[in-house]
Amino acid sequence: MKFKMVLASATALMLSMGVAQAQEKTLTISVYAFAQDEFKELVYDPFEAKCGCKLVVETGNSVERLAKMEANKANPVIDMAVVSMADALQASRAGLTDKVDTTKLTNFGKLYDIAKDPNGDGMSVGYTFYATSIVYRTDKMKVESWADLLKDDVVSHVAFPNVTTNQGPPALYMLGQALGNDTPDLKGPIEAIGAKKDEIVTFYVKSSQLVQLMQQEEIWAAPIGRFSWAPFAKLDLPLAWATPKEGQTGGMNVMVMTKGSKNQDLALEFMDFWLSTEVQTKLAEKLVDSPANAEVKVSDEVAGNITYGEETAKSLKLIPSATALDNRDAWLSEWNATVGQ
Amino acid sequence: MMQRLFAPLTLLLVMIFLIGPFLIIVAASFSAGDTLAFPPQGFSLKWIAKVFTVESFRQSFATSMVLAIGGTFAALVLGIPASYAMSRYPLPGAETVRFMVSMPIIVPGIIVGLALLRYFVIPLGMSITLALFVAHTALVLPYAVRVVSASLANLRSDMEEAAVLLGSSRLGAFFRVVLPNIRGGILSAFILGFVTSFNQVPVSLFLSGPGVRTLPIDMLGYMEIVFDPSIAALSSLLAFLSIGIVFAAERFLGFSRYV
Amino acid sequence: MFQNRAEALALALPAALFAAIVFLVPVALLLSEGFRSAESWTISAYVDFFAEPLNRAVFLRTLKLGLIVTVAAAVIGYATAYAIVSLPPGTKGRMIGLVVLPLMISPVARTYAWIVILGRTGIVNQGLMLFGLTDEPLRILFTETAVFIGLLQLFLPLMVISLISALENLPKDAVPAARVLGANWFQVFWKVILPLTREGLVVGGTLVFTGSMTAYITPAILGGSKVLMLETLLYQQVTVANNFVSASVIAFILIIMSFAANILLRRIATARNKK
Repeated sequence: MKFKMVLASATALMLSMGVAQAQEKTLTISVYAFAQDEFKELVYDPFEAKCGCKLVVETGNSVERLAKMEANKANPVIDMAVVSMADALQASRAGLTDKVDTTKLTNFGKLYDIAKDPNGDGMSVGYTFYATSIVYRTDKMKVESWADLLKDDVVSHVAFPNVTTNQGPPALYMLGQALGNDTPDLKGPIEAIGAKKDEIVTFYVKSSQLVQLMQQEEIWAAPIGRFSWAPFAKLDLPLAWATPKEGQTGGMNVMVMTKGSKNQDLALEFMDFWLSTEVQTKLAEKLVDSPANAEVKVSDEVAGNITYGEETAKSLKLIPSATALDNRDAWLSEWNATVGQ
Repeated sequence: MMQRLFAPLTLLLVMIFLIGPFLIIVAASFSAGDTLAFPPQGFSLKWIAKVFTVESFRQSFATSMVLAIGGTFAALVLGIPASYAMSRYPLPGAETVRFMVSMPIIVPGIIVGLALLRYFVIPLGMSITLALFVAHTALVLPYAVRVVSASLANLRSDMEEAAVLLGSSRLGAFFRVVLPNIRGGILSAFILGFVTSFNQVPVSLFLSGPGVRTLPIDMLGYMEIVFDPSIAALSSLLAFLSIGIVFAAERFLGFSRYV
Repeated sequence: MFQNRAEALALALPAALFAAIVFLVPVALLLSEGFRSAESWTISAYVDFFAEPLNRAVFLRTLKLGLIVTVAAAVIGYATAYAIVSLPPGTKGRMIGLVVLPLMISPVARTYAWIVILGRTGIVNQGLMLFGLTDEPLRILFTETAVFIGLLQLFLPLMVISLISALENLPKDAVPAARVLGANWFQVFWKVILPLTREGLVVGGTLVFTGSMTAYITPAILGGSKVLMLETLLYQQVTVANNFVSASVIAFILIIMSFAANILLRRIATARNKK
């Protein structure tokens, strides 16, 4: 009985290995783990039907997936990836990516200018951008400036993004602006955070955890990306999206092509499909991703819950990728030395 | 009097400590609210139902099952003879062998995952499934050797020697005398190995790849994005499945006699 | 005892070879990265590592938490295991089942349960305030205390199980005999129980100590970056900084600490036995 079970599982294992090798015309993509149900319905399934190919999806956060691309450099398993702007630049500097042949993207001309070539090296194309600001309890506090987060009566109810997350450096950057100390090494804001590190509730890594902490009244405020706003809106708490006087920051996510991929044409076809007005509109309507395609039109209600329109996009104070990349190690060691102990 | 009260009281407190979090997870599975909370907000089965609608959970569950059963079985096939050799023979370098097979416990999982990826999987061009299978076998091997060795140590060796003296072949003595007597130890090793493999995170983190990921990695990924009670629901379902297995093992084989 | 060496080697070799190829060689290659410089071998990476105050603090914290969790698990483990072993067989089986139960639950989910329990509005704080032990909810989450609680719950079952199997082998009359001869409970433990259960303590202690030091999820979720431990630092070095040298240094330190713990526990146990 037990032996049969083991035998069956061993057979299943061999079969599953065999199947993985038998597939033809497969495109392997690497994306953020976020909203996969919606992506499957709106992007993956329709694309598979259209191209008659099989789509294999790897998910994870940007840095982890990049580390894997680096490890698999000699024999790439992924054809295209979506990562943050700074990670795209890092990947291209490390020789992990190829130029994106935008002449083959029929929807390229429809993109906002800032999305066309975010790093100015032709190695990536933006497909969505987002604002980063502060979600906060309106009954407990007011947020007029990024510096309000560090006020004495509030700071012990704040969660701040860790410097290793996509939201960390932009939030620090805005804090630096508010404190009048905005050098690219972020020394000023990191020191300011370090001085209050014992009071701050936590330096979060996963934003999904914040919903739980907010609901438990562990925290009253946290800087987050607009794409994580939806679950907060569902909580039965008086929460608002802050518009600090220094402005909002944010980020852009981009598509890159793996160097040495054997399916470049298929990957380009997939990118083009994802950037099309139809797909981008659907993703926006489900509040999944804010569009980078300028032809997308959405209702006011949808627009209020995403980061919509070129004006909004232009107003975001983004950290240039090169600055982010050149300073990343210094930020981390400064952060670890001031905040980590 | 004090002493008579001491034992039950200790057990009660320890059990609350060990089981409390589990009860909270179970309670949250039936919550009607959108976050983990205790006491739960209302009652519903919607999170339990949701678990079955997430396709990636079904896939990664199958992957984890195959890895845990296959990996543990392979580890026992390698581990039982090795344990036997170490406990019954004057094996030259027995300590070295013991040390080598128990290394995977001592080295942090992340390093194992990274080392395997960089210096084993990639140079050999292995498929993701095979890489995970090999890694999980290596991870379970120490538990297999330790538990089986422990039960061999408890089994007096004069029984086999008697069997051999009475004319049984050594192999025959092993299968007829030793194996039935360490059956419980093997089963314990199997359950321990299965659980270790099934809950393994750091090694799988590096070795999972496009299309193939284990259930805990999938759950972590899911939780990175959505933090709703469906993870609690899934964990409860898995726990009840494991309890069922252990209960059956206890019922039919007397698991606790051997642990 | 059988005397045939060739047979013994044939039995042990497959496992040893498998471990060597799949495990030892790749790990050794990775660890060697920490000793390699452009032209020769060097320990400068280790000197640099310990020159950094943060790294020293993280190292000490990891060591401290590992030790406290192991000691706590051993003390609670002996009490629990002894209580369980003296139960009638049926109840004993059920109790062992309950001890093993937490092992069946994903550590990810277990850790999140602690967020609910230890939070400002959680049961622990409600209890403390109800009994008037504190006026304000205490901050437990994202402190070393939270990591300690999480790790202890995670690894206590391993200690209890190891000690149960050791105590089972204790001759049934050893403890009563010692008591009759006038030994107090402390002496009984130190002179009778500990020497006879040392193998269980060594196995359990090594599992708990190594597990606590190399756990990733618990310190990451319950401690966050305010309670960095070696394993979380290592992960950061690999995924964020792409610094494999530093990762290799941390890995080597963790391995050395685990070995030291194993040897130390073995030494303590045998030293008592020889007297």
